[in-house]
Amino acid sequence: MATQKVRQIQLVGRKIRELRKEHKLTQVELSQRLGIQQSDLSRMEQGEYRVSLDTLFRILAEFQMSIGEFFDELAQESITPRGVRLVQQFNTLPHEAQREVEDFIAFKRSVQHRTEPADFDPDSEEEPK
Amino acid sequence: MIGDMVEGIPSAFEELRVRGAHAIEAGHLEAAEQLFEEALAWAREHGDSNLVDLALCNRAAAAIDLGRGERELPRLREILMRGADPVNCRIAAYNIARHYDLNKQFKKALFYAQIARDRSEHLGRQEWLASSHNQIGSLLLAESFFEKACGEFEQALALSSEDAAVRRAMIKDNLGYSYIVLGRMKEGFRLLFDSYRSLRRIGATRYAAEPRASLCFAYLEAGRPRRALLCGRSALALAEAEGVVVAIKNLLYLLGEAANLLDDLDLARDYFSRLQREFYPDAGYLPDFLLAIDVRKLINLKA
Repeated sequence: MATQKVRQIQLVGRKIRELRKEHKLTQVELSQRLGIQQSDLSRMEQGEYRVSLDTLFRILAEFQMSIGEFFDELAQESITPRGVRLVQQFNTLPHEAQREVEDFIAFKRSVQHRTEPADFDPDSEEEPK
Repeated sequence: MIGDMVEGIPSAFEELRVRGAHAIEAGHLEAAEQLFEEALAWAREHGDSNLVDLALCNRAAAAIDLGRGERELPRLREILMRGADPVNCRIAAYNIARHYDLNKQFKKALFYAQIARDRSEHLGRQEWLASSHNQIGSLLLAESFFEKACGEFEQALALSSEDAAVRRAMIKDNLGYSYIVLGRMKEGFRLLFDSYRSLRRIGATRYAAEPRASLCFAYLEAGRPRRALLCGRSALALAEAEGVVVAIKNLLYLLGEAANLLDDLDLARDYFSRLQREFYPDAGYLPDFLLAIDVRKLINLKA
């Protein structure tokens, strides 16, 4: 799980790098536009640097991209062979069967959420278990 | 920290300085600036150049927190370069670092923070050394050097007095957040709870929104969005009551993320839409973007 998360950051970093190159910008030029240091942009492209909400939205605004454009490729790269197989199998099912699968997934997700304790009082002295 | 006594100072001057320090702690920055101005006038009248520098440093601290730090920088740099008094040099370096920190110029801030730390070490002032380690840790944290930041915060905690409850609570918040980012969940939760409880105990509600926001993030990272939502709601109420803008912004994002993970898309959209309206009015795409993409691993709440 942790490895997958790290990988997601690296993918986003790589995407920023690709976009920068597509726009024919050097790291120095893009970092100046974003108001960050070149070394920070370099670390961001390598997935080592986290940014504030302000900086993240400045990056998106800089490339003037839609959500789909930015993340379609990432989503494609993130999906595992098992995920691809599941989607392929899902697509072969009749419509009614697909609905049943969707209902089952919704049920499993709701069960997962219900298992969380719901009585947390942030003003109590309780610590997480 | 300004209020820490400096030995051998005339009482009339020191009284003004300590009152100024208390005004800063109470958040009355304008009043503090005025008191330090009076201390400066006293020092000039008595022709004591070291006290003039000290009063200038203290007045600069208030001005920096009021967002008027730029005009103080030349005087602070001059005091530092002149090097006439190690105490004033330390305070000047610390304040310059603080100015750059507030302006998000973290690398410059780090340079001066390290000078302040070295001076603190040279002076043998444990509390100053503790605050310098905390300052350096905060800057490293903002720069995403989480492990190095932890080392600085750990030293700051080890050196800071138990009496400095607010400072210790803030260090624990930063260290707890860093641990959570690094996946050290149990240690992180313990510190964040400690931080929040001690601030609540001493009635420092002004500062309590931060550890609560960190706790909200920690619950999300622990895969407990329902708890994150409960914790984040009360944190948001606190941040709004105290006018802590950065915390409000982060919490609107965190609450939206928690609602999204709970599949409550209407609630998630409400939070993300408010975030967009209040802080990013030109970014109309933002609610849809955040509903579609989990950016937790890209975001540093302390940057």
